[in-house]
Amino acid sequence: MPNLVELAINEGVPVETVIYVLMYPVILTIIAFARQIIGIKAFGIYTPSVIAVAFLATTLKYGIAIFMVVILVALGMRYLLRNFQLLYMSRTAMMLSVTAISVLIFLVVGGVFNRTGLASVSIFPILIMITTVEKFVVAQIEKGFRTAFFLALETILLAVICYFVVKWEAFQILVLNYPITVLFIVLLNIFIGRWQGLRLYEYLRFRDVIKNVELPRKK
Amino acid sequence: MLNYLEKSRLVLGMNARNLLYVRPYNPKEARKIADDKMLSKKALLKANLPVPNLIARIRSLKELENFDWDQLPYSFVLKPNRGLGGEGIVVVYGRNKKTGNWVKADKREVTVEDLKMHIRNIFEGTYSLSNQPDKAFFEERVKLSRVFKPYSYRGIPDLRIIVFNRVPIMAMLRLPTEASGGRANLHLGGICVGIDMATGVTTNAISRNLATQQDYHLDFVPGTRLPLAGIRIPYWKESLEIAVNCQEASGLGFLGVDIMTDRDRGPVVAEINVRPGLSIQNANQAPLRDRLERVTGLKIGTTKKAVRIGQDLFGGEIEEEVEETTGKTMVGIFKKIKIYGPRGNMAVDAKLDTGAYYVSIDEDLAIELGYGEALNIFKEYFPSYHAAQIFPDRPIEYQFEAIKKIRDEHLDEIVARSNGLLKKIKLVYSSNGLSIRPVIETKIVLDQVSIATKATIVRRKHLRYPVIIGRKSLRSFIIDVGLKKEQ
Repeated sequence: MPNLVELAINEGVPVETVIYVLMYPVILTIIAFARQIIGIKAFGIYTPSVIAVAFLATTLKYGIAIFMVVILVALGMRYLLRNFQLLYMSRTAMMLSVTAISVLIFLVVGGVFNRTGLASVSIFPILIMITTVEKFVVAQIEKGFRTAFFLALETILLAVICYFVVKWEAFQILVLNYPITVLFIVLLNIFIGRWQGLRLYEYLRFRDVIKNVELPRKK
Repeated sequence: MLNYLEKSRLVLGMNARNLLYVRPYNPKEARKIADDKMLSKKALLKANLPVPNLIARIRSLKELENFDWDQLPYSFVLKPNRGLGGEGIVVVYGRNKKTGNWVKADKREVTVEDLKMHIRNIFEGTYSLSNQPDKAFFEERVKLSRVFKPYSYRGIPDLRIIVFNRVPIMAMLRLPTEASGGRANLHLGGICVGIDMATGVTTNAISRNLATQQDYHLDFVPGTRLPLAGIRIPYWKESLEIAVNCQEASGLGFLGVDIMTDRDRGPVVAEINVRPGLSIQNANQAPLRDRLERVTGLKIGTTKKAVRIGQDLFGGEIEEEVEETTGKTMVGIFKKIKIYGPRGNMAVDAKLDTGAYYVSIDEDLAIELGYGEALNIFKEYFPSYHAAQIFPDRPIEYQFEAIKKIRDEHLDEIVARSNGLLKKIKLVYSSNGLSIRPVIETKIVLDQVSIATKATIVRRKHLRYPVIIGRKSLRSFIIDVGLKKEQ
């Protein structure tokens, strides 16, 4: 595996790409851990993981700003579109379009205020964040607005945690020199996936039940 | 801390539910049927289980265009076939005679166009799991049962019964509220009330704080003084039997059965759930994993037996409920108590006897407690507890007068000589004649309540319980003659 890293770099794959690809399994494992052991749901596993990667491309500051814009616009659109009786697909299409244009306006505003970093953000991280809107809409329909809002917050929280882990220099060096580390981290999923105990959040959720449990009398 | 972890192990979490119960016990084909409302309706009908009658199905745009809207009755329910959490359901209560429009629960009118729009949305998968294309169907509207009328806002309450290995193991009543917009789902703000499995009487109610997503306890129907505990569920046993039969008919090993009570038809199965929610534990204040483990591997013959096992194993919470509402502790007839004397205290078996008024204790026990000396003094004046042995062959009236005379003359002396341990001497008529009973003052501890009381001393060697506790000392208790003796 170390050879694979060297080979990739020698063949012209950017070091950054190699790092991000190697880090992706780590991000996924963190998200799986957050769900199964801690109880942070977020929008599934795909959305927070790609948003974390998007943050890497946009830097955290601009990433969160764009994410906020996307969610706020989606919220506003929800109220605007409520009175038009539209089919799901058309409604989502309108929502995503308006969100995309709003992000563009946001980038232009960033340029006007000399935030060149913001203006030069590439299209892919922006698209990734816009896809969150669909997740948001679906969650809203299935579980109600508040739940959707909490899920969005959890998603961004997870993405930020993953961002810091990937940005951690010592860890980057470790992974580049010993890519096998990634394999071990992925294997952690076997443990995580078989964890039968309560999630941390469930200790809170069922605290009264736990308090009331009567243990069987010892013989 | 260790104790806490041990306790929490009995609570069912999401991981354990999916890994240990949903996946191993619910085969894929059975899950497919349960997630498809029309298919599960068919499967349940085949097993002769009551379900809301199907009025019509709309499976394609073509069927929608050709649909004869006049075939619909005045009231009906429109549902997405794979709807989640009660989403996408339209309940129609009647028809406005003037406009010809249908009227919903919130008095708003819906036109044919509105319904068509809604059905197209259903087709698009707006309300289904991961937005898969879906079908729509109309079914008979379940009419609100009179029992639940005061407790529900607009919608219909339903019973959720969790069945595992054929045994009904936990249940709750779900009530629609104003906050939930007339729907009974907890995550929308509905109320869930735990149910005692044995009696079908509600116990503890919860609702969810939508801002913090935490379940909280509540006592009354919001905005009223109507207690949520103590509701007697109609058709309780029948509902449990239906739930058990649903498990068999569905092929699921672990499931939640939703049963609505129709005013005319009685219980009908609204839905079966492959992944029943876990908040039922909060509603019942009881852990599910513990119950699941207790019925794992049991071999059960008939439905009736399965229901009885569920009721026997998991009933009984109501007892505490009565205690909460009356402020009195419930105790059985036989109870271990602690009794105090000059020489300290002793733990003994007592019988709680509402036919008696005072506490009475056996002579031997009194001696052990340190009343031996006092009793010897008593015996100098009264050689026996029975008047008939002191004055044989005399009528009882004579015995009474004679004993009374001795007592009145010597009582002060006896009290003084016994250092005040003996307080009084009582003459009591009983089935074996007139008896003379010295009275002492003592303290007993019954179910952690300590009671100061006077007690008479008698010879009750022939009885199994050295202490009898009468009504006077039992004012703060409720006696349940069915409670088993403590070990």
